[in-house]
Amino acid sequence: MTSQTSSDVENPTHAPLLDDDYGYVPSLDASDQPSQPQETNRQPSKPVLLLISGLLAIGLLVALIVGNVRIETHDNDAPLPERRDPIEQGVSEKSFGLPPNVSSFSWTDDMLSWQMPAFHFTPGKNWMNDPNGPVFYKGWYHLFYQYSPAAPVWGLIVWGHAVSRDMVHWRHLPIAMETDKWYDVNGVWTGSTTILPNNELVVLYTGSTNESVQVQNLAYPANPSDPLLVNWVKDPANPVLVPPKWINIKDFRDPTTAWLTPEGRWRMVIGTKVNRTGIAILYDTDDFKSYDLLDTKLHQVDGTGMWECVDFFPVSKNESGGLDTGVIGPGIKHVLKASMDDDRCDYYAIGDYNPKTGTWVPDNPKIDVGIGLRYDYGIYYASKTFYDQNKERRILWSWIKETDSESSDIKKGWASLMAVPRTVALDPLTGSNLLQWPIEELENIRSNLNEFNEVKLEPGSLVPLNVGPTSQLDIMVEFELDKKLTDSLLPLKAGSVPYNCAGHGGAGVRDALGPFGVLVLANKNLTEHTPAYFYIVKGKKGELDTFFCIDQSRSSIAKDVDKSIYGSTVPVLEGEKLSMRILVDHSIVEGYAQGGRSCITSRVYPTEAINDDAQIFLFNNATSITVTASLKTWQMGVSSTNGSGWVWIGPSLILVVVFFFVVWTWQNQRNNRS
Amino acid sequence: MKFSFPLTILLLLLLLQQTLLSAMADIQLIKNTCKGTPSSSLCLKILLADPKSQNADLTGLALIGVDAVNNKGLEILEQIVALKKSRQELRPALDHCAEVYHAVVDADVPSSRDALRTGVAKFAEQGMADSAVEAQVCEGSFGEHGRTSPMTGSNNAMDDVANVVRAIIRKLL
Repeated sequence: MTSQTSSDVENPTHAPLLDDDYGYVPSLDASDQPSQPQETNRQPSKPVLLLISGLLAIGLLVALIVGNVRIETHDNDAPLPERRDPIEQGVSEKSFGLPPNVSSFSWTDDMLSWQMPAFHFTPGKNWMNDPNGPVFYKGWYHLFYQYSPAAPVWGLIVWGHAVSRDMVHWRHLPIAMETDKWYDVNGVWTGSTTILPNNELVVLYTGSTNESVQVQNLAYPANPSDPLLVNWVKDPANPVLVPPKWINIKDFRDPTTAWLTPEGRWRMVIGTKVNRTGIAILYDTDDFKSYDLLDTKLHQVDGTGMWECVDFFPVSKNESGGLDTGVIGPGIKHVLKASMDDDRCDYYAIGDYNPKTGTWVPDNPKIDVGIGLRYDYGIYYASKTFYDQNKERRILWSWIKETDSESSDIKKGWASLMAVPRTVALDPLTGSNLLQWPIEELENIRSNLNEFNEVKLEPGSLVPLNVGPTSQLDIMVEFELDKKLTDSLLPLKAGSVPYNCAGHGGAGVRDALGPFGVLVLANKNLTEHTPAYFYIVKGKKGELDTFFCIDQSRSSIAKDVDKSIYGSTVPVLEGEKLSMRILVDHSIVEGYAQGGRSCITSRVYPTEAINDDAQIFLFNNATSITVTASLKTWQMGVSSTNGSGWVWIGPSLILVVVFFFVVWTWQNQRNNRS
Repeated sequence: MKFSFPLTILLLLLLLQQTLLSAMADIQLIKNTCKGTPSSSLCLKILLADPKSQNADLTGLALIGVDAVNNKGLEILEQIVALKKSRQELRPALDHCAEVYHAVVDADVPSSRDALRTGVAKFAEQGMADSAVEAQVCEGSFGEHGRTSPMTGSNNAMDDVANVVRAIIRKLL
């Protein structure tokens, strides 16, 4: 599945990046050749030469044709998806359970190599964590990241680096910053980029010193005219910021992008804690070398513990698109986000920032930072946004760790990836949550559209969908419920225990109004499957609450992988259909409900539902409602069936060169003989 | 100059009291640390077995815990080597066990140590959580090959120790 020209962080490509390189074609001017004594004993004969060149030419032709022809991957003679009789099958919890004698297994190379994602960012080898300093600069999107080059486990961390034109196709570059100074010898940790008005770029990052003190350091490109920003310089004045006396020397990290205050100073945020109170503190600077700690704290919340990877940015109430970090004014809200060390989740809250006092207040203190909304209800941590001035949007990056065992990671040689970059903006309809959506550039790697319209799913339905391979899929589904029926069911008793995705047994547990959704990475007999679904229940006040969940409890028969069920409520407004988008990319499944109001990222490690055995199904496990589903699926990414024709350019050109060389030799001989 | 006898006694008593108090405080820290772990008796056993625990802070105690996991892992790896000789028929499962315990000793333990020393406890917790998983994987691999495990005691011991150390580390978060 990988392009022949791929590189990874440890073998960065050395091909000239800005110029095309088509290889050397020898001159055909025979008169330049010095006269050489002819070798009389090893001359290839004319017919042999003709034969060789002929074969090469045929080979070239075959290569060009084979490489560029689309090869259908699914069997065209397969019958149309068979609807299983819902009443008979009655997909109950029992049939969703594991059969009694599960075949034994150990992780094979086949299973492990399948896990590598095709269109999610990964260094290819060893360990990665937090995204660092993302920025758009001189035509390239940059992503730096916490990287452990020694093993697929966290350790001594450096800044990995990759660039892209579209945040989908990446070119790996050498390590940007190593642990080569006393102030970062124990780790070059997370930091952010700030673009100055003259388009200069600076990076502030946390270094773990030789005594494990967390300090902030300044770095900048060695050569700002290099759009790829390969080499970096650490300021001799480092460390530019050390922990204030009143906080622990190990609770001071992850500086944010800075912005200009109305007073003309640069301001940035750092997260910390005192006892169990998570705090965001502010620093002002004029030159990024000397800093003034503000007396006021940007914000704090008791009981939330250490705030890592704090992020702070404006969002527009009325306009679509993103805003640069320093924008203030009416019609603008500010988002404060922090990664909670304690529960490994990223929380955000929407509120108002007062640039004069340097304080931020949440709109709803009940869902303050750390106790309210999350970017993502699955595995999603250490996220960071940046303003993409190229397309005037705000982009969100996040680290997605493995949820399998370390021994598997060592065996497969890598651990961790990034979620797909998402645009993030205020939800114009609710005003009380953000919307996240995969960047539009991902639509460029879609192919093989399959459309299914108005598939009626009666209670107990299970419908297999014939869409070809399902390890790399973009699925968009809409569900319509019979409104009359739903309304008539309102007299339902409210549940005694409030529903939550995690605590209710997953998609096998049937209820009146749910669950219904899609099964991904499912094998034929459903011993392994991962449902992404909606579950409607009666809320405390009698209204209907909709939950969006992804259930890993039966995602794999392996015992050493996480089997949690993730999810949360998702706001559904009057008249809206229920919609979900699911990106399947081998061992990562990302789900987006209601246009990105609620998101779930999940790591899935099937043993059988891999390669050609992975399928998708529509299902409705509710007992009292019929659901009508319409969906589109696309294959994602470069696969062996299409788009790889260009891969054959290299070998084809080599064949052309060899062909001409042979012809030239033959001509040469001919001339020498006559 | 003559030293006042009562004053000397008083000073000695004060010194003794200080020593006793500080020793008690350390024991108190250890006791508090072990409270709320899955097995406080196992926790106390691990920590008190190492003389460094007398003067250690919470991070120091966690590091002692990680050492205990490391020692257990090395012990189990030796056990596997011996079993490979005496129980040839268990070879496939034992190979798998060696693999996973090497992950504990070569990856989880060093990672946890680095994380504790540099103050990012969450990666240390991850390492200990994984060590418990690897012990279960080893135990399960005998059943996968249709055999009874000869290492149940060891695997359970590793599981227990790793979980106790994980609980200690969580107190740092």
